[in-house]
Amino acid sequence: MTRRLLDLAGIGRERLHLAWVSSAEAQRFAGVASEVIAAVKEKGPLDVKTFETALAACEMTVNTETVRWLVGKEVKITTKGDVYGRKWTAERYEEVLNAALEREYHKNLIYLAIKEGGCFSVREVSEKTGLGMKRVSYLLADLEKTKRVEFRAMQDRKPVFAAL
Amino acid sequence: MADFDPKVLAFLCNWCAYAGADLAGVSRLQYPSNLRTVRVMCSGRVDPAFVIRALREGWDGVLVGG
Repeated sequence: MTRRLLDLAGIGRERLHLAWVSSAEAQRFAGVASEVIAAVKEKGPLDVKTFETALAACEMTVNTETVRWLVGKEVKITTKGDVYGRKWTAERYEEVLNAALEREYHKNLIYLAIKEGGCFSVREVSEKTGLGMKRVSYLLADLEKTKRVEFRAMQDRKPVFAAL
Repeated sequence: MADFDPKVLAFLCNWCAYAGADLAGVSRLQYPSNLRTVRVMCSGRVDPAFVIRALREGWDGVLVGG
């Protein structure tokens, strides 16, 4: 899940590795360590400045309620079923999780764009985040509902938003 | 990029990977020294937020070993 998020943010999944090594497998540990170093070396140094906003949005995203609940309930909803008794297939679960990740990540990007730059119109947010205007205004409505963003005023017939 | 030395943060489970790393040291196996380890009692303790935070603080990569 986190690797997918890193991909989404343009940081790259090669920066996060997960490996299972038992306590008796020293040789394997040495192998895994070399592999990881080689993979990261290939990616080059991580420029924290370029990715500052992306990483901040990632951090907010992994702490989102929706994402945390989804991840926490994975086994339950794919084996026993959700509260409505529907059992999800693994593919369906992945699909929903991916959509949630993307949505929350984009929402956080928009939120940060507005917060860091003061008030913004939809067009400005869209230019800053690289998301389509339609997507931005759709997600802005979501952010407004959860009281993270507020409609401030009309300026030259454009609505202007502010982060709370 | 030949002389680039990546900084990689490793979260290692006390019972599995950490002991494995220890054994690798004891048996004098060669492995890269770019890893800095954080010993956790279980790799389930590692939160995605830790990973993101590590990257934000300037680490080039993260390894979670269980």
